[in-house]
Formats: sequence, C-alpha cells, structure tokens
Amino acid sequence: MAVIEAINLRRTYRTTTGVIRRKPLEVEAVRGISFAVEQGELFGLLGPNGAGKTTTIKMLITLLLPTSGEARVLGRNVVDDAREVRKRIGYVFGGDRGLYERLSAYDNLRYFAELYGVSGKAQRLRIDEVLELVGLKGRESERVEGYSRGMRQRLHIARGILHDPEVVFLDEPTIGVDPVGARDLRQTIADLVSGGKTVLLTTHYMFEADTLCDRIAVIAKGQIVGEGTPAQLKDNVAGGRVTEIEVFGIDDSVVGRLRAIQGVTAVAVEDRDQKQLLVVQTTGERELTAPLLAELDGLEVGRVDSREPTLEDAYVSLVTSE
Amino acid sequence: MIQGARVFWVGFVLHFKNLSVSPFMMVTAAAWPLVYATLAFLMFRATHQAPSLLYAALGAAVMGIWSTTATSAGGAIQQQRWWGILELLVAAPARLILVLAPITVAIAGIGIYSIASTLLWGRLLFGVPFHVEHPLLFAIAIPAAVLSIGLLGLVLASAFVLYRSASNLSQALEYPVWLITGMLIPLSLLPGWVSPIAWSLAPTWGMRAVRRAALGGDVGTPLLLCAVLSVVYTLLAMLLLHHFERLARERATLSLT
Amino acid sequence: MRVWLRIFFVGGLISFRALFSWIRPSVYIPTLLLGPTTQILFFAYLGRTAHLKSDSWFVVGNAVQSASLAALFGMGFAIDGERWTQTLSAVLATPANRAALFLGRALPVLANAAVTASTGFVGGALLLGFRTPWSQVLPLALLLVLASFACTGLGMLVGAIGLRTRDVPIIANLTMAVLLIFCGVNIPLDKLPGWMSAVAEGLPMTHAIAASRRVADGASLGTVGTEMFVELGLGAAYLAVGFLLLRWFEQEGRRLGTLDRA
Repeated sequence: MAVIEAINLRRTYRTTTGVIRRKPLEVEAVRGISFAVEQGELFGLLGPNGAGKTTTIKMLITLLLPTSGEARVLGRNVVDDAREVRKRIGYVFGGDRGLYERLSAYDNLRYFAELYGVSGKAQRLRIDEVLELVGLKGRESERVEGYSRGMRQRLHIARGILHDPEVVFLDEPTIGVDPVGARDLRQTIADLVSGGKTVLLTTHYMFEADTLCDRIAVIAKGQIVGEGTPAQLKDNVAGGRVTEIEVFGIDDSVVGRLRAIQGVTAVAVEDRDQKQLLVVQTTGERELTAPLLAELDGLEVGRVDSREPTLEDAYVSLVTSE
Repeated sequence: MIQGARVFWVGFVLHFKNLSVSPFMMVTAAAWPLVYATLAFLMFRATHQAPSLLYAALGAAVMGIWSTTATSAGGAIQQQRWWGILELLVAAPARLILVLAPITVAIAGIGIYSIASTLLWGRLLFGVPFHVEHPLLFAIAIPAAVLSIGLLGLVLASAFVLYRSASNLSQALEYPVWLITGMLIPLSLLPGWVSPIAWSLAPTWGMRAVRRAALGGDVGTPLLLCAVLSVVYTLLAMLLLHHFERLARERATLSLT
Repeated sequence: MRVWLRIFFVGGLISFRALFSWIRPSVYIPTLLLGPTTQILFFAYLGRTAHLKSDSWFVVGNAVQSASLAALFGMGFAIDGERWTQTLSAVLATPANRAALFLGRALPVLANAAVTASTGFVGGALLLGFRTPWSQVLPLALLLVLASFACTGLGMLVGAIGLRTRDVPIIANLTMAVLLIFCGVNIPLDKLPGWMSAVAEGLPMTHAIAASRRVADGASLGTVGTEMFVELGLGAAYLAVGFLLLRWFEQEGRRLGTLDRA
C-alpha cells in the first residue's frame, strides 16, 4: 500500500477581480493531480512558482480541503481522518517565519512537542535527539531571532520530526539558504529517508531534485507533466541536443519563428545583462545550427555552443510545452 | 483530559514568556494602569464621599487586565498568522481551541503586572494600605478573573479573525467596558438596562471576586459566575473557530498564512 | 508669499492624504469619533462616584482634551510618519521653507481636532444633558482652536524629540498621560498637590479648559482674555522650541547620518 496517495486532486480558489464592481473569479490551482509514494521513498514535486506544488502539499497535510478527488496518507483519508493524519506526519516549510523569535529554540521545540503529544520524560530525550540530528545541539538556548536562515531551517526540521512521524512533508526547505547550508540540509533530509521515513519534497531547484529524489513528478499549471526517476526524465530529452546562442536584442516574433523550425522542441530565453541567451532544444536528428542562425539574420550574435541536455533542459521542455 | 490540561498549561507558559519579553506589552501592562490609578486616587481623594483608595487601586488594576486584553487579544490569532505560525498550529493534532485559548489567557495573565504595579504605586505614592480580608480567596480570584477575561478575549480574537473590519472596534471597547463592568464606577449609578449586559461580561464578576476578596463580602457567587461564563465563552469560541477552520480549509477564503 | 502659501496648503494636503490614506471610515469612526464620547461618559460617571463636580464640568474638560490630543498626536506622527516613510530627508532637503512645510501639516490636524471636540460636546449633550447657550458656541470654538494650537506646538516638540530617540509613540503616550492628569481635565487644579498645579500652568490646555468651563457657563469671551493670551503664548513658545530643536536635530542627523534610521 502506498504511503501517500493522491487521486485526481483538484483545488479551485474563488477570488474577486476589480475594485469597485467585484466579479467572482475561479482559479484552478490544481487540475487533477494523481501520484503515489511508496514507503521509504524520497519523492519530489518539482515545478515553477505558481505551478500548484504548495497547494498540493497543503491538501496532503490537511490544511486545505480538495475541491474534488481524494488523498490518503498512511491509508487514512485526509478529509475524514484529518486528526489521525496530523498525528503521523511532519510538516516543514522554508523561509524565515514560523518560529517564536523572542524565545529560545528549546522553548519552541518544547511547545510543539506538547502540541504533538510528545510529553513527559520522553520529551526531554526526544528534543535532545532531534537537536543532535539536525546539528543544533549546544545552541538550543539561544533566541531564534539570532539564528541564520540555515539554522532556522534545521530547527524547522527538528520541529517537524519531534513526534517521530512516518511521513515528512517539506515545502521548499532550502529556499534562501546559502549553498553550504543547503548542502547540509539536503544531507539531513537524505538521512531521514535512510532512517526509514518517507519524504515528500517540493522544490523549484533542479539540482536538488536531481541529487536527492528517488522519483520526481514535474508540475506545471496545476498538472503533472512528467513523472519518473531523474534518469528517466533525462531520457525524455536524451538523443536530443541543446544549442546555446547569445544574441543582442531578440523579440518574441523571432522566438516564435524559431519554435516553428522543424526539429526544434523548445526555446527558452534567459536575460544576461545587455544580451540574451537562447537555449534551443532540438531532437538531434538534423544539424540545425544553420537554420537557427538564418532566422537570427540581422541581429548581433555572440557565442554559439552545442551540448548534451541536462535534467534542467528536460524540466524546461516539460514545463514550457503546452 | 489531563493531556488537554497539559497542552493548555504549556501553551500558557510559552505565550506568557513570549509576551513578557515584549517591551510594548510590558509598558502597556505596567505603565498605563498607573495613569488611571493616579486619576482615580486624586479624584477620590478630592472629596470625602468617595470610595476608598484601595477600591480605586484594585479597580485600576483590573482595568489594566482588560486593557491588555482588549488591545492585544483581539489581534492574537492574526498575529500568529503574521508570524507564519498559525498554519503550524492548525496542522498540529491538538485541538485548535486548546492551542489558541492559552494565547489570549496569557495576554490577560500579563495583567498580573498591572496588579503588581498598581498596588505598589498606590502604596508608595499615595499610602494606600494593601490589606486583604481573605488572602486565599484573593489568590483564587485573580486567576479566575484572568481566565474568564482571557476567554472573552478568545471570543474577540475568533470573531476578529473572521470579520476583520470588526477588529477596529477593539480599541473602542476600552472605556465602555471599564464603564459598565463596575471596575471603578458602581453598577448602581448606571441606568438599569446596563446591568444585564454587565452581568454577561466576565470582567464584572472577576472584578467583584477580586474586590470582595480584598475588602470583604461574598466571593463565592462572583467566582461561580466567572466559571460559568468561562464555559460559555469557550463554547462560543469553539463555534467561531470551527467556522474559521471551515473557511480556511474548505473555501480557502481565509488564509492561514 | 504665494510660494509660501502654496507650500503651506499643498504640502499639507498631500501629507494628510498620505498619512490618513490608511484610515478608512471603519477605523476613523470608532477611534476618533466614539472615543471622546466614551471617555466623557467614563469620567463623568467617575466624577459621580467620587461626588466630584458636575457632569458638565467633565464634558467640557474631556472634550477640549480630546481635541488637543488629536492635535498632539497628529503633529507628533506627522514628523515621525515622515521618517517611517523615509521621506524625511527628502522633505528637509528641499529648499522650501521648512516652517511652511510643517505648519501646512498642522492644518488637517487642527481640522481633525475640531471635529473630535465637536463630537464630544454633542455626545455630552445627548447622553448627559450638557447644555450651553448658542451664543457661547463660537467662543468655545475659539478656545478649542487655541488649545489645539498650543497642543500642536507641544506636538512639534514631541515630534522633534522623536526624531532623535526612536520612540515617538512612547513619548507621545507619556505626554498624553501627563496632560490628562495635570491640566485640570478631570481633577480640579485646587485639589492637586502644589507642585502639580504649578507644572500645569506651563502646560497647554490648562488655561483653555478653565476658560472653556467659564464660557460654557455663560461667561463672555472678554473675561477669559488672560487665559487666551497665555494659551497662545505657550503654543508659540512650544512651536518655536520644537522648531529649533527640529533644525538642530536635523543638522546633527545630517552630520551623523542617522536621519533615516527607522
């Protein structure tokens, strides 16, 4: 039995537009998402901002009710059995908020331990254990307001696993953390899984998904556009090639024409100071550099490179295709 | 049951601690009651027909408890939201009422500092003798008053998180509640129709319990009514919070962040 | 002169809108309109409890106080508000006459003070039967303006101090507390300890309140000439000191680079 099951989840938000005459507007944030996570897996939900990752995770952790569809965690329905689900899962989110700043890390942990039913003699022991696990031992009596972003994240994780949950949900856990801190955090997350827990992670960092996750589901615009192990996802774009062209002053009409060239699967434009970098994915059947450059005739062109696709390219092609 | 009490107590201690290290809260709790105490002392001392200065001191102290509650409790839940903690509180398996009640009761509990500072101020500057008729009952009356006022604060907090425009009213509630709950002004001086309203408010009975424990009189009835109102407020808050959770989780019209 | 007037009015209007843009009727009505009436009710009944003076005595005192308060806070926050929105250095850097600039901000504040007091009087009339002959309304209004002017001056001083410390709210609240206790708002001056009534003589509102009570009872404006003069003088003095302090702190702030520290 899968530990986490999402079956055709949908979530619609009703908002209003306009200031004077308000019109109701329905926004479908999640449009039919289904996936399953097995015991001991580190599963990643990868997608750009606004794709629906946070909405999905909030439905799974019982903070949001699905508009339709079903979700089960450890066999329990997230809607009907919310309390039972809450007892067995941990929730960690990224960012600076979510802690009582003026109090010590220890006080914060003690409070949440109580809320999660870890009480009595077990509490002291458990708090020490989690502090050790996340590497904050010795700094627990300091006020949280003095903590760096990386330390706060570690404290969040400590808080999330106090009650030793079987499943841990992490929403963008390394956001805003420096590279060294992020690497340590990822190690901690990986340790959770090797310790027997099941972890679901949302992120928009390709590298993170690639290195950490056993399996990834790529989300864009409220739907899953690709699923599989990192290797499998890369296979989707394997055999193809990526051509990077520096241009000065490109506009959308040219990009449109580039996309129309036979053999081109995706075109992304990155701004680099005064120039743009065109990242063109092609199927690799034909040598397409000449037709590409022909379209760019009249524009100033800089460096031209050709390379193998990476997971990032796979992601881009999944996310930008319609 | 025991676990519920534990969750409440640990929550109360944490929030009390958190509030105690906030300079704003401390100034509001300890300093402002002194202004009204001074006014009451000077006014009562001006004539020979006024109630005693101890009466004034106790009244000003409980006024202080209401002040902190009226100004801070109303926004308590919203503040947890700003800190990003509200969704963690909802996501926890403990019942929401057990998680949120300690916050507003702690806010009322900060009123302890009001009581201490007012009595000390009265003693030092106005020679107000601090003599308590029934010390044990006094020690019970204060937490009883704090609990019932704190739970009224929870009702306010739950209402204001649902109806945000109403939260502007919390400031306007200060003088009226002071006026009608008999803290300094006896209920007998007010028009008759005010009494039923006053009787439904915890501060009225909390004040009576504290005052009678110090100055003499029947403490039992007010204590009982503090207890009854505490239960009523809790039920009311549960209703409001249930509605809040529905709107937040189901309709997502209220955000938890 | 025209430039001066333009800065006075336009600057005032813009800052008024900026500062009050967050005030919606749902906030304004409870806090600034209901406030004075509830305060009057509270102190009138407290007076009855103490068998002190009459309802009317408290109505006049507290109505004038609430008007002056609006002026005090308005001015204090006008200066601190600038800092919060970090426009202070921009404002002080302009060649515009600073006096015109800051006095222009006083205009909406004074208007607000007048509205506040009026609601207090109306509330007192409706709920406590406060009455005054129609002939006395304009003289009372004048006394209100004078009291508010004096408090605006004090507000300038408070705001200037606020520029230096970072604590306008605490200082403003402290000032409010002192004014409420000392100025004869709720405690007759002859019932205060000697040193307190002496301090009260140098504070805004004291004389205006005493004069307002006499005028509300029917006295003519001519009989309160001294009080009016003192109030005017005090206001000017506070304004001058505040202004000089502002200049001095501003120069120091520029020297030390601390002007925009929020």
